[in-house]
Amino acid sequence: MLVIDNLWKNFNGVPALQGVSFAVEKGQIYGLLGHNGAGKSTTLGIILGMVAAQSGDVSIDGISITQDRSRALSKVGAIFEAPSFYDYLSGWQNLKILMSYSGPFDEKLAREVVERVDLTKRIDSKVRTYSHGMRQRLALAQALLPEPEILLLDEPTDGLDPEGIKWFRDFILGLRAERGMTVLFNSHLLGEVEQMCDRIAILQGGKRVFEGPIKGLVEEQQGYEISAELNSDLTKIVDQVLASVGGNWDGASRIFMPHDVDPATILRSLVQAGVPLRSFARKDRSLEDLYMEIKQQHTTIPRSA
Amino acid sequence: MMFLAQLQGELRKLFSRPRTYIGYVAFLAMEILILVVYKLDRTQAYTRTQLQNNGLDFDIYYSSLSITFTIMLLSMFVLGSVFFALVAGDIVAKENEDGNLRLIFARPISRLRLLVVKYASVCIYTVSFVFFVGISGYLMAVAAVGWEGGLFVMEPKMKVFAAYSEWSDGAGRLALSALGIGFSMITISSIAFMFSCFKMKPAAATIITLSILFVDMIVQNFPFFKPYEEWFVTWRMSAWVFLMEPHLPWAKVLESFAFLGGLNATVFVLGWLAFQSRDFKT
Repeated sequence: MLVIDNLWKNFNGVPALQGVSFAVEKGQIYGLLGHNGAGKSTTLGIILGMVAAQSGDVSIDGISITQDRSRALSKVGAIFEAPSFYDYLSGWQNLKILMSYSGPFDEKLAREVVERVDLTKRIDSKVRTYSHGMRQRLALAQALLPEPEILLLDEPTDGLDPEGIKWFRDFILGLRAERGMTVLFNSHLLGEVEQMCDRIAILQGGKRVFEGPIKGLVEEQQGYEISAELNSDLTKIVDQVLASVGGNWDGASRIFMPHDVDPATILRSLVQAGVPLRSFARKDRSLEDLYMEIKQQHTTIPRSA
Repeated sequence: MMFLAQLQGELRKLFSRPRTYIGYVAFLAMEILILVVYKLDRTQAYTRTQLQNNGLDFDIYYSSLSITFTIMLLSMFVLGSVFFALVAGDIVAKENEDGNLRLIFARPISRLRLLVVKYASVCIYTVSFVFFVGISGYLMAVAAVGWEGGLFVMEPKMKVFAAYSEWSDGAGRLALSALGIGFSMITISSIAFMFSCFKMKPAAATIITLSILFVDMIVQNFPFFKPYEEWFVTWRMSAWVFLMEPHLPWAKVLESFAFLGGLNATVFVLGWLAFQSRDFKT
């Protein structure tokens, strides 16, 4: 559905993207993660034709964005962090104007979408009177007009309260369930990505350092949290114990080991080796753990799918 | 149809912004000021002398049409240029600054088409503004001195002198000249529009445009450049006044308008090339 193929981009000689590739299948929710300046927004900009890639291409449903941008984007809706509307116009007027850039204005469809994002009562008010949450819902409405097949979400939940974040998440998941919507989700909120996405790519310094499904990733090892006062000798002991069973740890408190390893064995080995454990508790690997591991490994790709 | 819908949206944006109306308010204030000056005894005495020296009847030519002409001649270039440069300098750069362009670029519209829509709206704004000044100036002048009378035109710089004793003749020439002014003023808007497409702040686009025009106007008046005055943009922009001559010098008028049209097309293309090659980071 959406293929990002070997994108390269420099800004004033500074590499922003270095051969980034990934593909988003139809109906998939795909997370794009990375630190500030990792290249997420540049990737999104190239997908929308706002930024020209030095080399590489993006195709949407087989249509190249560089060769036929208008046709390629006819199936795309996008939302940005802190979307800028025309504040002096009403929400409805904003929708009409933005929709005119895509095709004829379908009032019936627009009313339905406005109702769906729960803005019916305020749609005729000036946007300057909207809260941040209402602006994000208006952004969602404009992205859904006219009926896209792919949604590009750039930090869509930034600044929303927990209730707003949950509403947004449920809405996107609902769209996928009902329409098989394909979503590319760019966010710093790892918890959100973990709850929503099927697959992720992690960018670091303009390079793709990880790409794969979330489900297998977070479940491929069992995780535990230990609490102990460790000196350098004890740290080495923990390293050795975990390495002996194919496990690893973050050097502080989180340890991971294959599912076929009995945690009691590890616990016993650590205690017998003199590690002064205060606690040893199950805590499965989260996306945040994976993200931090990859950040520490820099350019090492732990797994590619 | 799509183009019209997009143009309608662009005009809605333009005319919904409070700052678009600063120019309208400023011109109404200026028109009132000019009318007050016109009503002063000293001004009337001066005008009477001027007309009589040219063998013209004060009662016919001290009229709403003559006052309207004066308003347009005095105010349009000096004050109008500021507002045309302000609005056209804003139209792309401000949307980029505010982040509105990101939402538009997420749509399947080409950059060229977007610029054509915006440029068309700027041209409509410019011409409609000129007509607003003409019509409002005329209505105020009618309120001050009555609707009857002819039209007296004197523009020493362009060496144009004309007198139309019939109201209908004068009104026709005034309407024609308003079209000419509108076309001439599009050049200011075009230059500001071009800078608006560059990577710069809206205020910078406005200031650079005004600087270019004022330098052009000042340099043009240096004796050294007198033989070359026809190569100056502001001289060509003043060519609308030829439309007031009793025998219309179409060749002169069309030559200047072709010069301006070519300049407008050139700056539009330059603006488009700059806009097309820019990266718009989210």
